Amino acid sequence: MILDSLKLTDRIAIITGAGRGLGRAMAVKFAQAGAHIVAASRTVAQLEITAAEVRETGRKCLVIPTDVTSSEAVNRMTAAAIAEFGRIDILINNAGGGDEEAAGKPIDQITDEQWRRGIDTNLSSQFFAARAVIPQMVRQSRGKIINIASGYGLRGAKNSYMYSCAKGGVIQLTRSLAITYAKNNLQINCIVPGIFPHNEEMMKAFKGGKFIPMGRGGDDAEVGPLAVFLASDAADHINGELVVIDGGGLAGGILPTGAVPALPG
Amino acid sequence: MASEELHEQLHKDFSLDGKGALIIGAEHPAGRVAAIVLAEAGARVMLASQDPGTDAQLKEVLKAVQEAGADKAELRVQDAGIRADLSAAMDLAVKSFGRLDILVNALDAPWYGPADTADDSAFDQVIDNNLRTVWMSCQEGARVMLRDGGGAIVNVNSIIAQRGVVNASLYCAAKAAVLNLTRAFAMEWARAGIRVNTLQAGWLDEPASPLSVDQEFRNNLLKYLPDNRPVKAEELAGALLYLVSPAAAFVTGESITVDGALMCRV
Repeated sequence: MILDSLKLTDRIAIITGAGRGLGRAMAVKFAQAGAHIVAASRTVAQLEITAAEVRETGRKCLVIPTDVTSSEAVNRMTAAAIAEFGRIDILINNAGGGDEEAAGKPIDQITDEQWRRGIDTNLSSQFFAARAVIPQMVRQSRGKIINIASGYGLRGAKNSYMYSCAKGGVIQLTRSLAITYAKNNLQINCIVPGIFPHNEEMMKAFKGGKFIPMGRGGDDAEVGPLAVFLASDAADHINGELVVIDGGGLAGGILPTGAVPALPG
Repeated sequence: MASEELHEQLHKDFSLDGKGALIIGAEHPAGRVAAIVLAEAGARVMLASQDPGTDAQLKEVLKAVQEAGADKAELRVQDAGIRADLSAAMDLAVKSFGRLDILVNALDAPWYGPADTADDSAFDQVIDNNLRTVWMSCQEGARVMLRDGGGAIVNVNSIIAQRGVVNASLYCAAKAAVLNLTRAFAMEWARAGIRVNTLQAGWLDEPASPLSVDQEFRNNLLKYLPDNRPVKAEELAGALLYLVSPAAAFVTGESITVDGALMCRV
């Protein structure tokens, strides 16, 4: 039965950046699908809110404050998850984000430190976490990794350096991992979200989604079911794939309005 | 917490309870899988053929769909190369189910031959069977969906759409056209609530596939595939359900590939 194959009953899922936004939405959706959650990010207070929502479904949530840019911290988090649950079925590499201090600055004003921080936050973090969980997944001969990239990993944007380069790197990380571990029955895929306005300011910046073909931005809760699907048995032969969820943004985009005038033939 | 209660949200995201679905090309492996998975997820399904004279195959698929617990299943042998047949299929589905929520085009007519000796009739035949059918079916489906407030269309396609292959020039061209036609339809109808996506299959292990005909080709290909095995048609089911389900409400103009990581390396 296909709906049964989507269930994640008693699977163990590590979700980085689980304290807010997409990460929290995915944690709750995974719990509703039956998984136990290991919630990792820097801010404990935010993680505790996620944990409370997860526990409301009757599922367990292990909160592990983690700086994902530190490989030692990521290794400790992974070890603690294995110690608690004995296995890791799913890793969602979700932590990341723009750098308020450096975002949008011209290239000659970006410091070495800002460049490294942007790459560490958005790319090294995913590499560290994959490196930490893969030996366990290989021992299990089963595992799913879902990397969260961005439409900016596929398209260029003015004065977008660290974020675009790191997210493009996430896509390539996904592909190389997928090829390498296909024979170990690991599936490593990538979700490419388009515009998901988290607040009024973002909504305003994107003009309420006017330039998105569907005419709206995404809602955080819409990424959860895609991640559940990719983490489930229903996606067992999908590997190394990018799934774009962007209201049609990347399917068009070569014209400001999406349409050419209809001309008489 | 009871299991049913726990999975209630999962059910809301992926269930197709009460939806009306039409599968065109149900005699093909991907069409058969589509019919079964949609029925399992709760949809009422109409199975329509790509080619006439496929009564026996369609009846077999109908049986499988009924065993999968289809709420309602109907069968229609037709020629998807004829617009009037497609148009009638859409209207019949609306009549039977109240509306057409889901249209799956599993239209496919493989062609393998050298480019230098192929004549223009091959061009017409391959483009007609693989592209014109999809064009007409999407148009006719959209006609009723635009009228009734939206829907979801999935065009089943092949990874051959994205790369060049010796002895498959016209098939490559037709499939590439289907991929981008899908994107253009998605743009055209995005605001009208019709989502249009592609499901892209890798090398399928099916009787009609070159894998089943040529052992040397098969052995070489299997060595090349990242997990050393071809795709089973049943493995398309999950992605198909995702694309037509409420879970994919923000997904249009997209293609999901089921190929065991092959496209990562090429």
